[in-house]
Amino acid sequence: MRSAVVLEIFRKELTETLRDRRTLTMMIALPVLLYPLLMIGFSKLQVSQREATEERTSRIALWGAAPAALREALTRGGRVVIDDASPPPEAVRRGLARGTLTRPAAGPRDAAGGSRPGEPAARERDADSREPDHPVLDAARAAVTQRRVDAVLVLWPDVGPAIADAGVGSVSIYFDSVREDSLEAQSRLERSLDAYRDRLVAERERALGLKPGFARGLDVWATNVAAEARQSGQLLGLFLPFLLVTMSLLGGFYPAIDLTAGEKERGTMQTLLCAPVSPVEIVTGKYFAVWVTSLIAALANIVSLGVTVMRILPVSSISLSLPTLALAFAMLLPVTLFITAVFLAVAAFAKDFKDGQNFLTPVYMLLAMPAGVTMLRGIELNAWTAFVPVVNIALLIKALLISEAAPDLIFLALLSSTAYAAMAVMLAARVFGREQVMLGGRESLRSLLGFERRKGEEPTPAFALTAFGLVLVLTFYGSLLLKSAGTIATLLVTEYGFFLGPTLLLVAGFGFAWKRTLALRRPPLPGLVAAVLIGSSAWAVAAGLLIRVLPPPESLVRALEQLLLLDGAPAPLWLVWLVIAITPALCEEMFFRGFVLSGLRRLGLWPAVLVCALLFGLAHSSVYRLLPTFVIGLLLSWLVWKTGSIWTGVVAHALNNGIAATLVYDKTLAAAVGAGSQAYLGWKPTLVAVVVLAAGLVILRLAPPAENG
Amino acid sequence: MAPTLVAEGLVKRFGPVAAVDGVSLTVSAGEVVGLLGPNGAGKTTTLRMLAGILTPDAGRVRVGDVDIHDRPLDAKRRLGFLSGDTQLYQRLTTREVLRYFGRLYGMAEAVIDARSSRLVEELEMGEFADRPCGTLSSGQKQRANIARAFLHEPGLLILDEPTVALDVISGQFIVESIRGQRDAGRAVLFSTHVMSEAEYLCDRILLLHRGRVIDEGVLGDLLARSGCGNLTDAFLLRVGREGHRE
Repeated sequence: MRSAVVLEIFRKELTETLRDRRTLTMMIALPVLLYPLLMIGFSKLQVSQREATEERTSRIALWGAAPAALREALTRGGRVVIDDASPPPEAVRRGLARGTLTRPAAGPRDAAGGSRPGEPAARERDADSREPDHPVLDAARAAVTQRRVDAVLVLWPDVGPAIADAGVGSVSIYFDSVREDSLEAQSRLERSLDAYRDRLVAERERALGLKPGFARGLDVWATNVAAEARQSGQLLGLFLPFLLVTMSLLGGFYPAIDLTAGEKERGTMQTLLCAPVSPVEIVTGKYFAVWVTSLIAALANIVSLGVTVMRILPVSSISLSLPTLALAFAMLLPVTLFITAVFLAVAAFAKDFKDGQNFLTPVYMLLAMPAGVTMLRGIELNAWTAFVPVVNIALLIKALLISEAAPDLIFLALLSSTAYAAMAVMLAARVFGREQVMLGGRESLRSLLGFERRKGEEPTPAFALTAFGLVLVLTFYGSLLLKSAGTIATLLVTEYGFFLGPTLLLVAGFGFAWKRTLALRRPPLPGLVAAVLIGSSAWAVAAGLLIRVLPPPESLVRALEQLLLLDGAPAPLWLVWLVIAITPALCEEMFFRGFVLSGLRRLGLWPAVLVCALLFGLAHSSVYRLLPTFVIGLLLSWLVWKTGSIWTGVVAHALNNGIAATLVYDKTLAAAVGAGSQAYLGWKPTLVAVVVLAAGLVILRLAPPAENG
Repeated sequence: MAPTLVAEGLVKRFGPVAAVDGVSLTVSAGEVVGLLGPNGAGKTTTLRMLAGILTPDAGRVRVGDVDIHDRPLDAKRRLGFLSGDTQLYQRLTTREVLRYFGRLYGMAEAVIDARSSRLVEELEMGEFADRPCGTLSSGQKQRANIARAFLHEPGLLILDEPTVALDVISGQFIVESIRGQRDAGRAVLFSTHVMSEAEYLCDRILLLHRGRVIDEGVLGDLLARSGCGNLTDAFLLRVGREGHRE
């Protein structure tokens, strides 16, 4: 691929795209108008609504006999008006007057946890608390929902005697939680009734010569500790991520169609295909052009939002810091990378612009709409959602807004997004390589996805990377699902089921050459010696040097130790070795140093080894473990590359894991080699390990090269 | 001298249908070869394979000394392709299109400038060369397209119905340009439905029918073999009035 050609295609596509009014509208004009209009309109509406509600007096119906003092308490301040023109139905009036209607016994929900009659605070705050149907409820419901009054206050027959006799009477407020006016009436009534009750209690205390507050016992105050930024972050987090994601994606929507289906429709695709450029160069140039358009859209959205919040909004109820906005923009990078590739790959199949819209609209809905889950309270970024494309980034932005993003989850979300993006880019490149698709013909999905048997070959780099992406997702969700099954079962199923199983299936299913793909050769003796030396020292280099770079949090160290001990279950050492050392060594080596490394082989020694190690590191799904596992991956990859035998990798990997587990298992042994309870391995054993490792590497370097073929 | 373009046994299938079924041909420098045939005969598919846009299922194509399968980009650099339905970027001007393709062909900026200016003059595009291609008439567009195909001065021109949908004046202009290229020593392979164009331009003619070459030769030989007085009659005689696939 020639960068000059890619750049030229990119430049031309961007020029054309930016001259397209349709794209410009979607990309710049829409966000520039959207946020100010949306937020100003929204907050204006909210404020005026609030003000209107507060301004209004609440009209209530008062049913039952009310003492004059109570009536006076309710209407004091003039915000509550008792509407005597809304009397109860005759049967209710009579029942309340005669004392035949009493407050019905609480329903099952009340009994479970709500308030009970007889308690001082017997109030129905919860609109869902259900009273069984009775005439008073029916009558009150009719009065409130038909808007004759805002709320109905019922004084049950026991109120009069209770006040006269220093007992407890019950009062019910019937309101409609859906009506803002009714809610306001309810809270006003509660405040007045609280004040009335406090006065009543105080009078009783005085009458009995008790200290003020005797009957109250406790004053409860609740104070919200969430900082203002967090509160506004939570508010913004409900709709902002969704808006940002959908709008950024929309920025790439039209260019993706225009640059593929649009080109076909206008007959320019053929012009481009007859020029001396390769399909990969074409797709790359176009890809970056659409991506940049998406990014401009994302940036326009962020800037418009920022300016709206910081400069235009009348009420300072919402605040956003510059770093938060910058981070939110940065989070949009991987998601736009992913979607751009999907858009291009799908749009390439369309014959014309209209066709392209028909193809892309469902894709857009499918990918962007799930980001709407951010609008639900309680849905957060966690180990599960971190792997859901697009949604993970939306949730990550939401977490950033309330400053609650854990490094490991950020890492997972970005890792999975990048993996999805890489897979989508490869798919797009494949689509563009299909002349039939590019010239408007049809192509079977089977041949497009490369599901043809490749007898006797090795996997391609793209194939290996795709397999890695699939295995990554499989292991991730698989091990989460298995969590309840216990550590040993989880580890065994993950390793054999999600690493070794897919590896063998892929090789068998696609007819790859077993021996070459999985490096199934007898190890040469020097290679085996090197494997033993490397395997027995690598862990120490990791524990003594590498983890100093980014020390893992205490909780992760404990969790790992627990894992190495098979969850603290009293297991014999041989079982620990079987589950922690031998199994992962076999299964992971077959996949990484077998399948993936042979797929990457045509990239050349160092690119292949580096990429393979990086994938190995990434697969450990933790930012803290990335560096150690990457370095160990480097050693193992070079080992297998140089010896041409997977078994050297298996031996070194098993030793590495086994020794680390044994030291956690046997504390006295650990203390003896200086790997006691301190955070890092001491300098002395580290130095010894470095020397042993160096010896292993020298032997490996001097060993005759393997016949890679 | 070896021919500029050599194709041997080209086959292209779309599903069960063989659109091109064993076509072989050569075109030499300073020669115009016409590819005639009814709709669906496989002309466009053949030309696309020769231009490296479609990959043949069987057969080989050599442009100069380059095999198009082994070194597709080198082969494409040596040929210019133009078809009647090839369009230009609507939001770029003719000059911008020429600059873009010049860069894709790896030409130096100065060379691009010089040749663009010359082509603008030769093809009389001065009044519209700086307008977006989307605003041009069909004749203007096709002239701009010809400039695009000639820009890198390829030794071989492959033209698929270059005068389709053009009025007489524009069509004639393009025919004369093709003739000019032949006189400049280029090899030209072109397809057309206009028999008078073929009679006027072609040194040799290939008759394609149902994916195969059914006759080939200079105009005189073709007419002699068919016993007809003009190419149209000869064409109808060989292909038959029911010769359409569609």
